[in-house]
Order: sequence, then structure tokens, then C-alpha cells
Amino acid sequence: MKLSVASLNQAFLRDKQSNCSTPRWTCLLLLGMLGVSPTLWAQQSEAPTASDSQTIQLLLQRVAELEAKVRKIDQLEARIKQLEGEKPAPAATARVSSPAPAQTNTPSEMETSQQEMPAVAERMDLSKTLLRIRGFGDITLHGDDQKGDRTSFSLGQLDLFVTSDISEKFKFLSEIVFEGGPDNIYGVTRGQNNVFAVDVERYLIEYSHNDYFKLAAGRWHTAIGYYNTAYHHSTWFQTATDRPFLFNFEDRGGILPIHSVGLSASGLIPSGRLGLHYVAEVGNGRASRSPLTDEPVQNVIDEQSHKAYNLALFARPEAIRGLQVGFSVYRDLLDPLNSPRISESILAAHAVFTRPSFEWLNEALVVRHSPLGLSRTFNTPGFYSQVSKQFGSWRPYLRYQYVNGSDTEPVFPDVGLRHGPSAGLRYDASESVAVKLQYDYTALRRQNAVNALALQIGFTF
Amino acid sequence: MRLSCCLCILVALALLPGVLPRGTLESAAYPPEEKPGERNLAIVVNLNNPVENLSTPELRRIFLGERGHWPNPYGRRITLVMLEPGWPERAAVLSIIYQMSETEFNNHFLHGLFTGEVFVSPKTLASPEGVRKFIFNVPGAIGYLRESDVDKTVKVIRIDERLPDDKGYKFHVPLR
Repeated sequence: MKLSVASLNQAFLRDKQSNCSTPRWTCLLLLGMLGVSPTLWAQQSEAPTASDSQTIQLLLQRVAELEAKVRKIDQLEARIKQLEGEKPAPAATARVSSPAPAQTNTPSEMETSQQEMPAVAERMDLSKTLLRIRGFGDITLHGDDQKGDRTSFSLGQLDLFVTSDISEKFKFLSEIVFEGGPDNIYGVTRGQNNVFAVDVERYLIEYSHNDYFKLAAGRWHTAIGYYNTAYHHSTWFQTATDRPFLFNFEDRGGILPIHSVGLSASGLIPSGRLGLHYVAEVGNGRASRSPLTDEPVQNVIDEQSHKAYNLALFARPEAIRGLQVGFSVYRDLLDPLNSPRISESILAAHAVFTRPSFEWLNEALVVRHSPLGLSRTFNTPGFYSQVSKQFGSWRPYLRYQYVNGSDTEPVFPDVGLRHGPSAGLRYDASESVAVKLQYDYTALRRQNAVNALALQIGFTF
Repeated sequence: MRLSCCLCILVALALLPGVLPRGTLESAAYPPEEKPGERNLAIVVNLNNPVENLSTPELRRIFLGERGHWPNPYGRRITLVMLEPGWPERAAVLSIIYQMSETEFNNHFLHGLFTGEVFVSPKTLASPEGVRKFIFNVPGAIGYLRESDVDKTVKVIRIDERLPDDKGYKFHVPLR
């Protein structure tokens, strides 16, 4: 090989002498390769098998030394454990009683016991917080052609979602929301335009006995329909820039008891592949004197002893992943000032199909108000349908919504008839940031239709 | 010109074995030995868990967080253990069980926790050793390991009545 390299060198020199027009790059390449060739050849020519076997021997010796050290460390750890471990940890007890053979005095067990951090001790450690906080927020530029409205940048709700695993069976969950702007309760405006306020929107302690029975106490989003318990106060989660009108919050002109304070039970119903679930709630319901009170959600004092009830059933059949079909019945007795009591029933039904890249939401409900002593019942029907499909980072969507309240409706005479389509495009700029552009057309009874445009950035952090 | 090109090629061919990284040569000469069961993904639980078998839909519900507790009488809260992103085992689970991307997986659990339907978020660990230790210590834990990473500190359960070595077992993972 050496000879052949030398002869190549000679041939190259001969060629170089005889042909001065050889391109310079070829010469440089050859020179470079020939320059490194002795080194490479030297690597190959130095009895490789002997060198490798020596290296292997050295490595094996080194491995043996390291193994001996590890064994020594294990013995020391075992000794330390023996000296310290007068009181065995619960997990260690479980281990002894477990069916696995030879689970004591092994190095792996020693490593494992080092990792043990009893949950109870962790929970009692006052130097650590058990809170987990996730945030959601949005900022919107919006405008419309309704008289008196002005195009504005708006800070949306700053939503802090706080949870804590209190124990294996108990969990705390809350949503603390900072939001600006005036409230609109059944058409009555209160508060200042640009002042922020804090609302505790959810505040729950949950007990999970098993999958068939969970009990929660506190303030929750009422299980009327689907939307209310699917998106809560996070704009980032929802596809569109805003909630359907039917599910607007109480302080944003909404007509439903979105929040309630009381007790809620939920869980699975043994139903095999049908996947039936139930939710049963009893709470204070919504204040019926809302225009005259500070807060439509009765957080502390109910205006009456009668309680509101809600029962929801829904199915998530195993055969069609992403499908949820259900209905709910809500009952309350309203006690407005200077008028007879009103029996309130809200019947809702939904069929939604949600997959990561596709959603089709359909919900319909009717709010029935029957003033006691009168034969007339006021029905306010409403529905919405929303469909969207993900194409990479883009998600176009369409929504049509409808609500039709009587002008003589005793509780929310401001609602009337409103219906129309919305079209929008959501762009997921990152895993945690979405930019949405939405156009709304809303037809109103005896008023001009409203065209609105909104550009929103929603995010989680 | 032609001669110099030929010479270049000849020299390059002559030097090729020396230029190649030694590992390449060694791996060609001594291909890495595949450990038995290295391609099988075992579903593992705590040794005290009496569950022996799960159907694929049941397993999927558990991994999605739709089931929060093991059936009675064990009744323990289910704690799902995931390896960190980047592990082939995790990629296999996302593909086979979740049928989701990483982003969809994260959104699923974030949304589930937000709605309250998922009681506890998955525990993410850095290595198979960590998974073994965690499952060993947490009675309600469930996770996944290569069969070659399984030892006596965890219990392998059957999926659709099949163990990882059985014919027709569905959960496999590429070699590392």
C-alpha cells in the first residue's frame, strides 16, 4: 500500500510536469489527500488487532473497577439505611407484603427507597406550595357599526386557573379572573368602563370516591348544555373569539345561570360501551333581582331558601370517539321584587363531535318562565351550531346562532330576537398562542343588523 | 485532466477505510445485540395492583385520563406515568394508544384538567429507571417500559389477554 501511494505520488508529479493546465482545484485536492494519507495509513498500519485488544483489556479492567466501586457504594448505602431506617416507610411495608420475590436487600430497592417521598409528608411541608397555576388571557381589537359603539382595544379576562392535589381523594380547583369594563346584567349596565375587578369564577373542593361518584362543593359552571363546562373562562381553548350568545356570562348580558354555588355530584353510569355520565347539582341559582343587586351569582346569601336543581345526562359512546350527546334539565324558582314568583325551567340538549382537528358543536335550549298565578308561559328558544376544521396551524370556522326572547319576557326583556352567522379564522402561532379574526353578522328585531369584526390574540401561560 | 480525476478517485478509495469513523467499522463488524423483548412495549403497574388484564379501549380510557380510579376493591387513584418527550417509548404510546401528536396530547390534558374531567395530570419522568421506581412506589401508578427494561419491581399486565411476548401483541417500539 505504501508503494502504491508512493507510485501515485510519482504519477501525480509526472502528470503535473507533463500537463501544466491541470486545474488548480484538482492539485489542491490531491495534495490535501496525499498530505493526510501518511497519517491515515499510520493509523491502519500500526498492528490494529494488538492495539484493540489492549484497549479492550484496559476498558474491561476499568469496568471491573467501577463495578467494584458501585458494589461498595451499595454496601455503604445499605449500611446507612440499616442504621437510619429503624422505622420502615409505608411503601417499604407494602413492598414486603407484595408478591414479588426477593424484594429486600437488593441494590435496586435501595435506590428506590431513596426516591421515596411520601405524599403526606410533602403535603405537610410548609416550605413548598402545592398550588399549580395556569394562566389564560386575551387581547382584542374589535369594532362594529352599531350606533354608539367605538372601535377599541380591549383587555380580555386574565384567568388564573389554580389547582391543588390535597390528597388522593381531594382536590382543589379555582378560576380567579381579572376583568375590566362595565357589567351588563339583563341589559342593565353597572360599573366603570375601564376599571378592572376580580371575580372568583370557580371555587371548588372535589372529592373523588371512584369513577362513579365524585362530589364537589363550592362555585362551579352549571352543567347546562356543553359549552359552559367545556371552555369556562379561557378564550384560548375555544375556537372562536367569544362564546355563543346563549352562553354569555351573567355579567356580560347572558340569560342563563352560568355559575352556581352549592353541591355537585357527577360520575359514570355503568353502561358499557355507551359511556353514560351524570351530573346532579343543587345550588343557590341565579339571583332574580339581578338588576337591583351587586352580583347575579349568589355567592354568600341566597335571596330565598328555595334551591335550584340541575340534572344532566350525556353519553360518550365508545364506538364514535369524540361524540357526546346529552341533555339537561334545570329548575329554579325566581323571586323578583314587586312581581309574583316565577317558575324557571331550562331544557337543553346537545350533540357535539370533537376531535383534535375537527369540531362540530350543536346545542339547543329553551328557557321557560311561568309567573305563578298566571296561565302564560314565556318560552325563549335558542340554538347555535359551530363547525371548524384544522389545516396545519390554520382553523377556519363558522357559527350560526339564534335566540328569540319575547318582548314581554318577565326576566330578560332586553334580549329579543337576535340571530346570524359568524365566520372566522384561527391561527395557532405557537402551542400556546392563537390569533383569531372573526366577522359577525347579527340581525335584530326592529333594529338594524350589526356587522362586527374582531381580531384577537388568545394565549395560555 | 482525466488522469488526475482517476487518481483522485483511486486515492479516495484507498483512504476510505481510514477516513471512516471507527465506530462505523465496528458497528459493521459487530452489530449491536438486540436484547430480548427490546421491541415490545410492556404496560406496567404496581406490584400490589390486582389488575391482570385490560382491553385496549380500557387502556386508552386510562391513558386519556377518563378513568381516575382502579376498579374496586383496589380502588386506588390512577397515576399515569409518561416518559419525557424524545423517548421512542413515548412516541409509540402517543401513536398507538393516544393517536395524538405531542401538542394534541398536551392540549388534551390541559383541557381535561381545566374542565375537571381529568383528576390528576400525568407524571413525566426522565428515564425508564425513574418509571420503574415511581411505579414501584405509587400503588395506583401505570406506565410503560420496553420489555427489556422491566424487572421484578413492577408488574406487566396483559392487554387484550396478551403479554408482550405473545403472538398478536400490539404494542411495539423501535430500537433506541
